[in-house]
Amino acid sequence: MSDAGLVVVRRDRVGGLLLQALLPIALVVMVLGFAVVDASVLSPANLLNIAQQTSYLALFAMAQTVVILTRGFDLALGPTVSMVSVGTALAMATTTATGHGTATVLLAGFGAGFGLGIACGAFNGVVIALLGVSPFVATLGSYNVAIGIATTLSAGRPVQGVPKLFSQLFYGGSVLGVPAAIAITVVIGAALHLMLGRTVFGRSLYIIGTNPRAATVAGLPVRRILVATYVLSSTLSALGAIMMTARTGSGEPNLGGALSLQAIAAAVVGGTSLAGGRGGVGTAVLGALFITILSNGMNLTRIDGYVQMVVLGAIVILGVLLDQARLERH
Amino acid sequence: MSTAVAASSSRPGLDLRSLAVRIGFLPALLIAVVAGMSAIDPQFYGTINILNILRNASFLAIVACGQALVIVAGGFDLSVGAVVALASVVMAKTMAATAHALPGQTTPIIVCGVAAGLGSGLAVGLVNGLCVAKLKVSGFVVTLGTMSATAGVGLMITSGIPVYGMPDVFVKGFGRAQLFGLPTAVYIALAVILVMVFVQRRTLFGRYVYAIGGNVEAAIVSGVSIQRHVVGTYAVSGLLAALTGILLTAQVGSGQASFGGDRMMLQSIAAAVIGGVSLRGGIGRIEIVSVSALFLTILGNALNLLHIDSRLQPVFLGIIMVAAVALDELSRRRRTQRV
Repeated sequence: MSDAGLVVVRRDRVGGLLLQALLPIALVVMVLGFAVVDASVLSPANLLNIAQQTSYLALFAMAQTVVILTRGFDLALGPTVSMVSVGTALAMATTTATGHGTATVLLAGFGAGFGLGIACGAFNGVVIALLGVSPFVATLGSYNVAIGIATTLSAGRPVQGVPKLFSQLFYGGSVLGVPAAIAITVVIGAALHLMLGRTVFGRSLYIIGTNPRAATVAGLPVRRILVATYVLSSTLSALGAIMMTARTGSGEPNLGGALSLQAIAAAVVGGTSLAGGRGGVGTAVLGALFITILSNGMNLTRIDGYVQMVVLGAIVILGVLLDQARLERH
Repeated sequence: MSTAVAASSSRPGLDLRSLAVRIGFLPALLIAVVAGMSAIDPQFYGTINILNILRNASFLAIVACGQALVIVAGGFDLSVGAVVALASVVMAKTMAATAHALPGQTTPIIVCGVAAGLGSGLAVGLVNGLCVAKLKVSGFVVTLGTMSATAGVGLMITSGIPVYGMPDVFVKGFGRAQLFGLPTAVYIALAVILVMVFVQRRTLFGRYVYAIGGNVEAAIVSGVSIQRHVVGTYAVSGLLAALTGILLTAQVGSGQASFGGDRMMLQSIAAAVIGGVSLRGGIGRIEIVSVSALFLTILGNALNLLHIDSRLQPVFLGIIMVAAVALDELSRRRRTQRV
């Protein structure tokens, strides 16, 4: 009896480990598979390119993850990115045109960008936590509002007049040889990781996601925490948006495009549970890396863009199936 | 339920209020917009504009009916917009192919095309339903995946180019035709709404959908086959989205992968939610959702007539949607507090 039990446990553990390691293994297999078709996938230039592309999506996946931890999600992420991009570019273009110094211009840009991001997050948080509207409806509402603001402010056209220095610093620049985008994402990711794991605020996100009622009974200020979480999430999105604006060198009213769902997909594929309470910076980065490598490899091996959409869709469902299998083991 | 009845019978003043809460703010809002617009702009009640509103509302209402059914069962269908596009191109391609094989024989061409279109929607719906029911994956993620996949297939089939080659009769005699002064799409939408209302209220399937959305555990204990009915809701949603795709195609005269899309998906959810369907499941009535689809269409039309920048229009839609749901939530909270 006890022997049989042990065997089952051991097999279970091996299976569990396999499931945990599946995504990293799949990543390696995928990269090697693409490399067989086209060796340039493994070239240093392309690897750096992948890392750089991943850093943006990873930031957005982190932004989704913090709200998904509390059983929410942010459909408005993409439009928020567009809105922040337009706002940042407009603020910088205006201050440049009125002859302000570089420091003022950059400050205005960041102020406008983060201001809009925080406003959007506060709106989401207040509507969800205080008015009791479901995250889906609340962020679908702000989705529309943010799209409207982004396209109205920009008149539907890219906003030019962003100072060169801004792009040189936050896209072209590097810290100790590491491109700015990667450096920023690593620093923010590390900080967020510590915050989620080591602070009362971070831990309470997991408690709220695992059991909201228990969180309330335990005396956590759930509403205040939720508002703060949505503000944190949109601030991360705003940071990503500002970095992407530096990359394009102009404010783009459709920069966010399909980012909302892409970020959710990245988080979910990485192993963040939509049921709340499970996930973190690691799962966000892993998911972002997976999706970026997949689309990078498919681009390099010249797989039709429409086929890529189908593959991505299948991957998302597969990722959740794995998550389900993992959940059943717990 | 019984406490609410007791409260209303003891205080007659509350009766009216509870009635208002039950019907919701929607009809009042609808009447206000219609009255206001009629006063401001006589174009609004011109025949052309009214027909235009009714036609667009029909498309949205059909999709929203399916969406509402899925949400009542506690799910989500993000794929409806992509299904509209897929059904459109599948039908147009099939018709063009059959026309090539059997030139001049319109009946088989139309039957094959419509069947293929509806079939494609049904197929996506079944995949959604089976993934949700059998594999126990959340509806949100499953349909997020199938949305991307379906849109991709639609674009693959057409390479993004409109598909022509449908029989003239189908376009002129059906899609753009009018019966007693109303577009055919309006009659089809009315039929769909009536059938769906009947299904929701008078069939076991409809009642079970409420039961599943209201309390899965209780439904299981009561012996309701959860899987079969969940698959059923997604299948209906896919089928109805395909129907809208077919009607749109018949009206425009070509199959296009750009039909539907995210906008249709978001609007169908907005229509359901503004129409009082609870995202927690178990609550929602098709007839109110249909009124809500009409309301959204009229609102968009009114904003157009008022020359409000089309870029600014989403802002209104977003705020109204959140406000409608927030009011609903607040009134529910107040009611439970009073009880």
